[in-house]
Amino acid sequence: MMRKEKCQSKTAFFPLNCPISLKVVFLCVFVYNNMFVCLFFYICFSVFQVHLASCYGGLYGRPFIESFEETPMLVAVLTYMGYGILTIFGYLRDFLRHWQIEKCSIAREKENQKDFVPLYQDFENFYTRNLYMRIRDNWNRPICSVPGAKMDLMERTSRDYNWTFEYTDRVVQDVINLGSYNYLGFAENTGPCADSACEVTMKYGVGVTSTRQEIGNLDRHEEMEKLVAKFLGVESAMAFGMGFATNSMNIPALAGKGCLILSDELNHASLVLGARLSGSTIRVFKHNNMQSLEKLLREAIVHGQPRTHRPWKKILIVVEGIYSMEGSIVRLPEVIALKKRYRAYLYLDEAHSIGALGPKGRGVVDYFGLDPCDVDVMMGTFTKSFGAAGGYIAGKRELIEYLRSHSHSAVYATSMSPPVVEQIITSMKCIMGEDGTTIGCKRVRQLADNTVYFRKRLREMGFITYGNNDSPVVPMMLYMPAKIGAFGREMLKRNIGVVVVGFPATPIIESRARFCISAAHTKDMLDRALSVISEVGDLLQLKYSRHRIQPSPARPFDDNVYEDIDD
Amino acid sequence: MNVGTAHSEVNPNTRVMNSRGMWLSYILGIGLLHVILLSIPFVSVPVVWTLTNLIHNLCMYLLLHTVKGTPFETPDQGKARLLTHWEQMDYGVQFTASRKFLTITLTPVIITSSSFTYPRFRYILTSFYTKYDRVHFVVNTVSLLTVLIPKLPQLHGVRIFGINKY
Repeated sequence: MMRKEKCQSKTAFFPLNCPISLKVVFLCVFVYNNMFVCLFFYICFSVFQVHLASCYGGLYGRPFIESFEETPMLVAVLTYMGYGILTIFGYLRDFLRHWQIEKCSIAREKENQKDFVPLYQDFENFYTRNLYMRIRDNWNRPICSVPGAKMDLMERTSRDYNWTFEYTDRVVQDVINLGSYNYLGFAENTGPCADSACEVTMKYGVGVTSTRQEIGNLDRHEEMEKLVAKFLGVESAMAFGMGFATNSMNIPALAGKGCLILSDELNHASLVLGARLSGSTIRVFKHNNMQSLEKLLREAIVHGQPRTHRPWKKILIVVEGIYSMEGSIVRLPEVIALKKRYRAYLYLDEAHSIGALGPKGRGVVDYFGLDPCDVDVMMGTFTKSFGAAGGYIAGKRELIEYLRSHSHSAVYATSMSPPVVEQIITSMKCIMGEDGTTIGCKRVRQLADNTVYFRKRLREMGFITYGNNDSPVVPMMLYMPAKIGAFGREMLKRNIGVVVVGFPATPIIESRARFCISAAHTKDMLDRALSVISEVGDLLQLKYSRHRIQPSPARPFDDNVYEDIDD
Repeated sequence: MNVGTAHSEVNPNTRVMNSRGMWLSYILGIGLLHVILLSIPFVSVPVVWTLTNLIHNLCMYLLLHTVKGTPFETPDQGKARLLTHWEQMDYGVQFTASRKFLTITLTPVIITSSSFTYPRFRYILTSFYTKYDRVHFVVNTVSLLTVLIPKLPQLHGVRIFGINKY
C-alpha cells in the first residue's frame, strides 16, 4: 500500500525499506520521468526562439527574435592565420622600408630631429600602413550625386597600392546604395522636402551666424522643436546642429560627479565620450543583457559610491535603440521595468531607430508599444531617417528648459542651418501624415517589408547575419581580413556599393559588411542586390551558416570579461 | 571603417587571447612548426624538439613580452603604450583563463617519448626525448625560464635594468 503511493508520486523520495529489485524499478521510473521532463525543456528552448514573448509575462507585445550565430571554429582558425600572415608580411615590409629597399610613403621624422622624442609612434601606425592601406579603396569613395537608392561614384585608380589615388574622369553611374543610412528615403533632391528647403534658403539664407542663445534662434527652430515633441509624444524637445555633439555635450549637463552611468558594452563613441566628459562613474554591462544590468544596479544601490559608500546622486542607464554594428534592438520593456523598480533614469539614443522602427515610424518606443513618458531622456538624430543633419533631445519640459541654459551645445554651438531645419519639418510632417498625403505611412511600411524580405532571403542563402529580424541594419559576417577588401571590390565591380568594417572597430574575428535597407529600394533593386550578393558569396565562400542559431539571450560572449576601471 | 574603436572597448588587444578559436590556433601553430622542423632531413628528433622549444619561446618572448603598445591608435590616451601584450591582457587582471593557459603550455615542450603533447608535460617530454642530455637540458631550461619569468604577476610592469622601458 505504502509502496504503491510512493510509486505514484513523482517526487524524489526514495523508499529505503523495500527489496533491491523494487529500488531498481523506482530508480528507473524516477530517471525515466525526469528524462522526459528534461527532454521536454530542451526541445522547448532549443527549437522555440520566440520564448521571450511568453516568458516575461507579456512584457513584450510582439515576438523578439534575435540571432547571433557563433563563429565556426575552422573559420576562426583561418582568420587568425590570415592576420598572422599579414603581420609577418607587415614586419617584412617595415624592414624593407627601413633599409630603403622599398619606397616609404608614410610620414617620417626629419633627419635633424631623429634624437628628439618621437613625433610619430611607429608601432601605433603598424595596422594602418600594413593592413588598412592595402584595402583603403573600399572607404572614402567620393559620391557625386544625391545618396539615394542609387548613386554615382567617381572612379579612381591607384598606381602605388592605395597610397595615392587618381581620378580617371569617369563616373560610375547608378550604383545601388546599400550603405547610406537612408532608411525612409528622404535623401532626395526633388520632391516637397527639397522644394521647401529651397524656398527657405531664399528667405533666410544658408548660415545663421550665431548661437541659439544669442541671436540665432529662428522661428523655424521653434516650430521644428514643437513638431519633434509632437512626433515623439513628449512635452518638449530641443535640437542641436550635430548628432555626435548632442550626446557628448548633453550627457555632461545631465550627470556629474557622484552619479553613476550604466552604459551598454557596444554604445557609440559619442555616448562613451559624453559619459567620460561628465566625470561620473561609468559601469559597463554586457550587450543587451538584462541580468548583467540588474546585477550592476543592485550592486550599485547596495554598495553606494566607491569609497564613501554614500548613495548615488542619480543612476543613468544609457542604451541605444538600434546598435548599428550588431543590428540588435534594445530590450526596452525590460529596461523600463528595471528602471522603475530600482528608480534609475533612462537615456535612450534613437539615432538609428527613429523613423525606422514602429508601425507609425516613431522609433523603438512605438515598436514595443510603450509609453514615451517612461523614457526620461529621448535622444535621436535627424541624419538617418529624415535626410537632414543634427540631433535632438526630448523629454519633460523642465528637463529641456534646464538643457537650454546648461548645455554646451546650446550656449556655444551655432544653430542649425535653415534649409536643414526645413527639411526636418517637411519630412517629419510627411511621416506623421500632416501634409495630407500617405507617402510617409507608405514609406514606413515599405521599409519594414524590405527589411523582413532582405533578411529572410540572406538567411535562406546561407549567410550569417546578426541582429534582430526587424532592424534595417543588416550586418553580414565576412570574418577573414582578405575577404573584407575582396567583398567591397567585387560588389563595386558589379555596381553595388556596400560598407565593410573590420578590426579594430569590431572584435578581431568578426569583420562584417553592413547593409542599410532603405524605403527607397524597390523590390527589383533588392532582388538584383541579393543575386549579386549570392554570386559574390559563392565566389568568396561566404555562406558560413550552419543554421545553428542560438536563441537570445545566449549570445556567445566571454564570461570572463574584465574592464578597465579607473575610479 | 575608421582605424580605431567605435565603442566602449578601448583596447581590443585585451580581448584577443580570449576570442573564439585562439587557443586552438595557438596549439595548431605549434604543431605546424614542429612538423616543419621534423621534415628537415638531417636533424635528429631530439634536436627538432629542442628547436621547437627554442623557436616557440623566442617568438613568444618577442611578441608577448617585448613589443609594447598596440598596432593601432586607441582612445585610452596612451595608457597601454608602455605595456607589453602580456601586461595588456584582460587589463592587467592576473590569473585569468588565457594567462593560465599560456603559462601552462610552456612547460610541455620537452618531449622524449613518441607519444605527444599533453601540454602539461612538454617540458618533461622534451627532456625525455633528448634522453636527458645535459646540453639540451640546460638550453631548454634557460629558454623556458626566459619566457616563464616575465609571466609571473610579481613582474607585471617591471623592467629589469631599464631594458625595454620606453
